[in-house]
Formats: sequence, C-alpha cells, structure tokens
Amino acid sequence: MSARWPRLSGARSAPAADARPPTVSRNARPEQVLRPVRPGFIWATLGAAFLLNLLPWGRAIWVPDFFAVTLIFWNVHQPRKVGMGIAFVFGLLMDVHDAALFGEHALAYTLVSYGAITLHRRIQWFPLGSQAVYVLGLLLVAQLASAAVRLWVGGATPGWWWGLLSSALGAAIWPFLNRLLLAPQRRPAKRDDTRPL
Amino acid sequence: MEYGPPPLFNQGVSARARLAFFSLVASALIIIDAQVNALDAIRNGVEILLYPAQRALLWPRDAVEGIASYLTTLHGLQEENARLRQAAVEQSQHALQAAQLLAENDQLRKLAGVRERIAAPAQVVVALYESRDPYSRKIIIDRGSRDHMRAGGPVLDENGVVGQVTRVFPLTAEVTLLVDKEQSLPVQDARNGLRAVAFGGAEPSTLELRFLPANVDVQSGDNIVTSGLDGVYPAGLPVATVTRVDRDIKDQFARVVLKPVAGMSSSRMLLVLMVDPPPLPPPAEAARPESGTSLRGNARAGAKAVRR
Repeated sequence: MSARWPRLSGARSAPAADARPPTVSRNARPEQVLRPVRPGFIWATLGAAFLLNLLPWGRAIWVPDFFAVTLIFWNVHQPRKVGMGIAFVFGLLMDVHDAALFGEHALAYTLVSYGAITLHRRIQWFPLGSQAVYVLGLLLVAQLASAAVRLWVGGATPGWWWGLLSSALGAAIWPFLNRLLLAPQRRPAKRDDTRPL
Repeated sequence: MEYGPPPLFNQGVSARARLAFFSLVASALIIIDAQVNALDAIRNGVEILLYPAQRALLWPRDAVEGIASYLTTLHGLQEENARLRQAAVEQSQHALQAAQLLAENDQLRKLAGVRERIAAPAQVVVALYESRDPYSRKIIIDRGSRDHMRAGGPVLDENGVVGQVTRVFPLTAEVTLLVDKEQSLPVQDARNGLRAVAFGGAEPSTLELRFLPANVDVQSGDNIVTSGLDGVYPAGLPVATVTRVDRDIKDQFARVVLKPVAGMSSSRMLLVLMVDPPPLPPPAEAARPESGTSLRGNARAGAKAVRR
C-alpha cells in the first residue's frame, strides 16, 4: 500500500555495516500516513479529467491530456484499484470523441498505465519535481505511440511534433494535481479544532 | 473502504500479460478501423453515449462567446453593419447577373439537348467543435444519419468549399476539411480551365496542386474552382486562390500552393449538399467514352464563354 514508514527508508539508505541504529536519514522527509482512498473519489476524478479533455479545445493541441496525467496518478498511488482495463476503455471513448483511429488512444493509455504501474514503487520515493520527470517520460511514450500508429497508417503530417508540448505541460501540472488528489487522504481521521497543525 | 491486508500471493493476472492482451486488442482495433469500416456500429454506440456530455461541455465556450459578443461596442456593430450592407449590394448585383446567366444557360442547354442539372438539396448545419488531433483536420457537425446526412456530401460555407462529410453518426457527423492531408478534390483553374487535383498541403492550412508539369500555365492569384468531374462536388464552387508557384528546375513538377477561400476553422454555420455519390461504373462500361459528360462539358464551356 502507499503508506510508508520513515524508519524503513532510513534503514534502506544506511549501509548494512553501519553500527548506528536505523534512524531517519537527512534526505527522508517526514511522511504522513495516508487514509485509505474512497473508490468514489477515484472515479469522480477520472471522470472529471475525461470531461476536461472533452471540452472544445479546437486546434489547441498544446493543451495537456488531463486524463492521462490523472490516470498516471491513480496508477502510481492505487495500482490495485486502477489498472490497464480502465485505461483501455477510456482510451476507446477518447478515440471516438477525437475522431481518431479506433484504438489509438486505447493503446497509448494502456502503455502509460503499464509504465506507471511498473514504476509506481520507484516514483513515490522522489520529490514531486523529480516525479514530474518520470511523468513527462510516460506522457511522451503515449504521444510517440500515437505518432507511430499514425505514421504507420497514414504518413507524416506537418507540425505534428507541436503536440509534444502538451506532454511538457502535462508534466508541469503534476505537482499541483498531486496535492489536489491527495488532499482527501491527508485529512485527519477525527476533526479536532485544538490541533496545533 | 479497505482495511484488510493486501493479498500477498493472489495478485491476479500479471501486469505484462495484461499489457500484452490490451495492446493486442488495441492494435487489432486500429488495423480493422484503418482497413475496413467494420467498427462503425461500436463507434455509433459510443458516440451516442458521449453525446450528452459533449453537448453540455460546449456550453462554457458558447457562454464566453455570448458575453464577448454582448460587450461588442457600438462602433464595431456599426462597422459590421456598413460592411454587410455593402456586401448585400454587391451580392444583389451578382444575383441579378446570375439570374440572367441562368436564363441564358437554360436556353443554351435546351438548344444543346442536355438534361437539366438537378439542384442538390442542402441543409444548414452548425459546426460543434474541431477535433484536437494533430494528425488530421476534422470538425464535428450537429446533424447525423437521423437527419438523413450521408457520407460523401460536400460541405460549404459562405465563401466556398470547406470539406466533405466522411463519417456519419446517428446524431453527429464528421467533416474532413480540405486542408487535411488525406483529402483531395478535382478542381480547375477558372482563368483557363486547366484541370488538376487539389490535395491537403504540406504546410498547415494550405492546399496544393500535384502532378502538374513545371511549365504549367498557373499564376499566383488565379482562382481555383471545383471541376465537378467526380460527380460529388457540383462544378464551379470556389475552392482556393493560388498564392505561390515554384518552378524548380531540378523538379519536373511545379509546386503550386493554394490558400483556401473558405474559413477552415472559423466558420460556425455550414451548408451540406445532399448529393448522392454516383455509383462506380462497372469495369466494362468504364472504358467506353460517355457522351453525356462531354456534352455537359461543352455546355459548361459555352456558359463560361458567355460569362466572360
């Protein structure tokens, strides 16, 4: 599960021969134990991100793929709840909306989802800025998969690489999205008005 | 909410197996969709599911546009009014000329014994949104097979040809714009009647004429209109103006770049002509020259001479 223990992280980073007792290393940030996520919240955020993609953006191909970023988030944080099946189904819906080839987004989202699930233990160790680099890589994989499909079926289109800008913007919104989507799990279990924090 | 421990051994199907399965299914769907139109039923179903959400999400954009137009200044409205009035005067002149030409043309056709050209019925449609796909240029319109929309119909705006209906859903339809690189239509130069085929251009939002010899008689500024040879687009609709002709000595073909006269993404109200695409002739008849087309071509050339 996503809850991790600071003492464990200290033990892993310290060499085994070290005589000191395992303590929190300097780099490890204090981690809050998160509350379990509600399945309804996952579905609501995935749906909202999909609706954001459905907005009439027109030729603004630099707009980030909100759904892909949200999908990566849930794949990283709840890999057992959000898997490749969901990615595939939403990809098919996206294909129909975008008048793309049937299966193009489905393939791209499946690859993204696989990448995120494979990397989910590693990504969570990094601070948010470094996580965004991983997210950029995953989004680029998705876009290059789409591009490969199109080049294979049709041929080169002038200026298609402008769309890669949307991956960079998608990675840029990762830290904000992370705080937003983790906020309900960071709530204290019991409401206490006298709590100092 | 889940408070139990995660299953340690029973993790279900492995991630790699799932990846292989879904990638294979997606690839199969892509190949089927690219080669044959067998998936249109599924597409129609999904489109009907998505339609309410799509329509609802057009609302924010329309609201912003409504507020912007409400805040238009009086000066802007007066300017627009003057421009529209001038356009109306010019068009009424054209309309008078057209009526006269039509009468003349009728007479000539009767003399030549050619059957009347059937005026295609048309439907006014509203463009809902443009697809956000960097690899194609398509717009979605608000009429579908429920309104007897059929794939193949030419789409026009007030200035000229915009594109062609390429896929029809029950409630909406996809229009591929002329500037899409997969789109082509037969055209002719209005100045000298030279026939060519216009394709979506290598530069964004342009068209180009391909396979014309380097010494071809096309000048920049020429008006390009449909030739009507395909039987889908009626003849004489304005398509584009020539902006550049490169006659590179190394290349045996001229490079003719066109700028479409229709607003490719700005126009919201469009006109779809409900023409029936002619069935393909059987192979035996295809070789035989058809007398009707040549007669029609002659009559059209005559009409053009009258117009000049």
